[in-house]
Amino acid sequence: MNRLLLKLAVTAVAGVLLYSNPICAQNPPPQPRAEHVEIIKGPALEISHDDLAIVRWTTTNPGGDDDHYAVIHYGTDPNDLSQTTKNHIRLNRTHSETIFRVRMDGLKPQTTYYYKVTSTGSGGESDGVESAVNHFTTAAPGQVTSAFPQPE
Amino acid sequence: MRQDTATLVKAAFATVLGILSVPLAGSTDARAQVDQPFPPYNPYPPLPGSVPPTVLPPDLQSELFRVRREVETVYDRYFAEWQALTPTPTYSGNPPILVPNGYQAQRILGGLLNFDENISPFQNIACASCHMPYAAFSGPIPSVNLTMVAYPGTFRDRAAKRTAQRYTYSHTFPVLNYNSTQGLFFGGNFWDGRATGYKLQTPDAEQAQGPPVDPLEMGFPDTACIAFRLSSADYRQLFELVWGADFDIRWPGNTAEICATPNGAARFGGSATPIALSAVDRTKATNIYDHWGQSLSFLERSVDVSPFNSKFDAFLKGTYTLTADEMAGFELFNGKGNCNSCHVDGRSTNLTSGQTDTGNPASVQPLFTCHGFANEGLPINPRLPLYYESVPDRFGFTPNPDGLRYRDLGLGNFLRSGPQSFPNPNQPDWLSLAPTVDGQQQVMTARDVALTPPQCPTTEAGQVGPNGPIPYFQKEFFHNGYIKSLKQLVHFYNTRDSVPNPNGNTTYAFPVTSGHCPAGTVERVTCWPQPEVLNNIDMTTGALGLTDQEENQIVVFMQTLTDGFDPANPTVSTYRNIDTFTGQCPIAPPGVTASNQGNETLTPVWNLTQFPCATDICGVPPVPSPPIP
Repeated sequence: MNRLLLKLAVTAVAGVLLYSNPICAQNPPPQPRAEHVEIIKGPALEISHDDLAIVRWTTTNPGGDDDHYAVIHYGTDPNDLSQTTKNHIRLNRTHSETIFRVRMDGLKPQTTYYYKVTSTGSGGESDGVESAVNHFTTAAPGQVTSAFPQPE
Repeated sequence: MRQDTATLVKAAFATVLGILSVPLAGSTDARAQVDQPFPPYNPYPPLPGSVPPTVLPPDLQSELFRVRREVETVYDRYFAEWQALTPTPTYSGNPPILVPNGYQAQRILGGLLNFDENISPFQNIACASCHMPYAAFSGPIPSVNLTMVAYPGTFRDRAAKRTAQRYTYSHTFPVLNYNSTQGLFFGGNFWDGRATGYKLQTPDAEQAQGPPVDPLEMGFPDTACIAFRLSSADYRQLFELVWGADFDIRWPGNTAEICATPNGAARFGGSATPIALSAVDRTKATNIYDHWGQSLSFLERSVDVSPFNSKFDAFLKGTYTLTADEMAGFELFNGKGNCNSCHVDGRSTNLTSGQTDTGNPASVQPLFTCHGFANEGLPINPRLPLYYESVPDRFGFTPNPDGLRYRDLGLGNFLRSGPQSFPNPNQPDWLSLAPTVDGQQQVMTARDVALTPPQCPTTEAGQVGPNGPIPYFQKEFFHNGYIKSLKQLVHFYNTRDSVPNPNGNTTYAFPVTSGHCPAGTVERVTCWPQPEVLNNIDMTTGALGLTDQEENQIVVFMQTLTDGFDPANPTVSTYRNIDTFTGQCPIAPPGVTASNQGNETLTPVWNLTQFPCATDICGVPPVPSPPIP
C-alpha cells in the first residue's frame, strides 16, 4: 500500500471516528503508561515569595492519563513531611519529557521547608517515582528568591 | 407583515408606553432611534483616575445602535435567503425528512432566530447583538471589549460578568459528563459548563436557551415568551415547516405585557412562569423553546459559523504552506509553549526529543480544545459591571446582591447551584466534586480567536504593515476579559509565575490586585496580579521560558486558525457575513502596543479584605478548600 493510500486510510479512519463521536478524536484513550519513569531534572525551587513557593521537576513522560498531578509532601521538619498539595498538569503526548510544577501557598517567610515530590495520574495512582528529600527557604518579606536558574 | 392579534396587543401596549415597538417594514431607522422605554439602569460608580472614568464606555449608546443596524442587515439577508429557497422543502420518506434542502431550511431558520431582536422584552436585542459574525460571533463592540467586557442586555444597562464567547465550534462540546477514570469534567457550554445538554442532548442548544431568560441579557421573564413572539414572526411559516405547527396556544390577555417586562421584576415574585398557561399549552410553548435552541445549535454547527476553512485547515489539506513565522509558532504551540496539551491540535504522537513530525495528523479537523475546564489563575477584573449592580432597579430587581463580594468560582459555583448560574441537574453525583473544580472555566477552542472584520485585520494594537500602521479590532480574552490581546494572552501563559533570568528566575507575579502593581512594573507586561481563585490552579503553564520573539510567533500561528481563508484568493475572507461591521477601527496611539493595550483603562480593585467572598458563593457546602477569602 503506497503512502497516499495509507494517508487516505488514516484520514478515513479519523473521519469515521470524528463523525461517530466528536469527543473521541479529541480525547483518545489514554496512552500506555510508561514502564519506568524517572526524574531527569530537579526537583528544585523555581520561585519563592515570602508566602508561596513553586517547585519544579522534569520526568520522562509517564504516559497513562493525559491529566496528571504534581504532588509535593512538605514540612518544616525533614522527618515530618505531612503537609501535601498538588496541582493539575496536562501531559503532552508529543513530548518525551513532562515538566511538573506545584505551587504551595500560605507559607511563612524566611522559613526552610523540606519536601519530596511525586506525581500521579488523575485517579491518584502513582507514577512510581519519588524524589529524595530536598529543601528550600522562602524569601524574606517582600522579596523573591529562586534556586533554579533556567526553566527549559 | 401579518397583523395578528398578538401584534395588535403589542402595538397597543407599546403606544401606552409612548414608544412604537412593533417592527414595520422599512422601519430600521425608526427602531434604531428608540432603544428602550425607560431611563437606563446605572448603578455604576465613577472610577476616578481611570480612562474612561466610568464603567460604561462613552460611546456605548451609539455603538449599541450600530450593532442593531448590523443585526438588522444580517436578519434581512437570512430572510431573503429563505424567500429565495427553491424548491420549497417538503417531507419525504418514513421517518419524514425535509428534502431536498432540509439542511438549508434549518440553517436559515437558525439564522433568522439568531438575528431576531423581537426575542427580548424591549425588542432591542437578539442573540447576535452580543455575538456578531465579524468577531467570530463574539463581542462586537471594541469599547465594551476594552472596558466593561459584559454586554448590556435588553434593559440598558444591566450587564453581567463574563466575555461573550465565540459560537465557533461550540457545538463540539459533548453533554457535560464527569469522567470518573480521568477524574475530570468534560463538555457543557458557557464558561462554567452550566448548559449541560442533559435534556436536548446538546449543550449548544441549551446554551442558546439561557440568554433569552437571563435578566442581564435578553431578559424574558418566561420561556413561553419565545413562543409568543415567534407566533407573530415574519418567518413563523419556516419555523412550522421545520418543527411543525404547534403555535395553537391560548395566550392569557396579559401575555404581551408580561413579555414586555424584563425578567427579575419584583411583580413576578420569583416565578419562572408568570404566564398562566394550561399544562397542554405550557408543553407546546416549551417544545417551541426547545426547538428554538435546536435550530440555533444547527446554525452554529453549519458552515455559516464553523466552516473549518482556516489557513491551518488548508495547511492540513496541503493547499497552503505556512510561513516561517507561522511554522515556528506551530512548533512552539506544540513544543515549548505546550499549548496543544489542552488546545488539542490532532498532531502525531510520541515524538522523541528533537524529532521532526512527519506523521499524518491524528485528526483532519482538530478542534483545539480538550473540551475540559481549567483555572488559569486570572486576576479579578474590576471593570465588570456585575460587581456594582447591588442596588435595585426600577423593576425592583437587584442583579447582584453580593456586590463586591462576588467571586467567580466558575464550574464550582455551578455545581453548587450558586448565584449567577443555573441549578445543577446532577447534584447527587456532582455536588461533592465542587471543591475540586472551583475557579475552573471552559477550555475554549483556540480556533477563530483572532477573527476580526476585514477592515481591522488584527486584534493586536501597534502593528505596522507595508502601508503603515494597521488598524485593529479590540477583542476580549478569557472568561473575564482581563487580557486584551493575543500577545498578552501568550505572555500570561509564559510568565504568570516566573521568568528565567541568568542569575535565577525572577517573577512578574505580585501579591496585589489589578491596578496596584508595584512602582517600576507595568501591569500585563512585568506585573501579574494575584489570581482571583487560588484553588485548583493549573500549573501546566505559567513559566514556559519563551522569548519575546517566540511569544510573537505563537500569536502568528494562532492567527492561522481564522476561518474564511481561500488559498485561491487569500486576501479576501469568505467567512459568512464578515462584511457587516460598520464601526471604526482605530490606529493605536504612539506607545500603545499589543503588550500594553488596554492599560489606560486599568482601575484599582477595592480592598478585598473589606469585601470577603459572599457566603452564598463560598459558604455553600461543600465549601471551597482551602477557603476563599
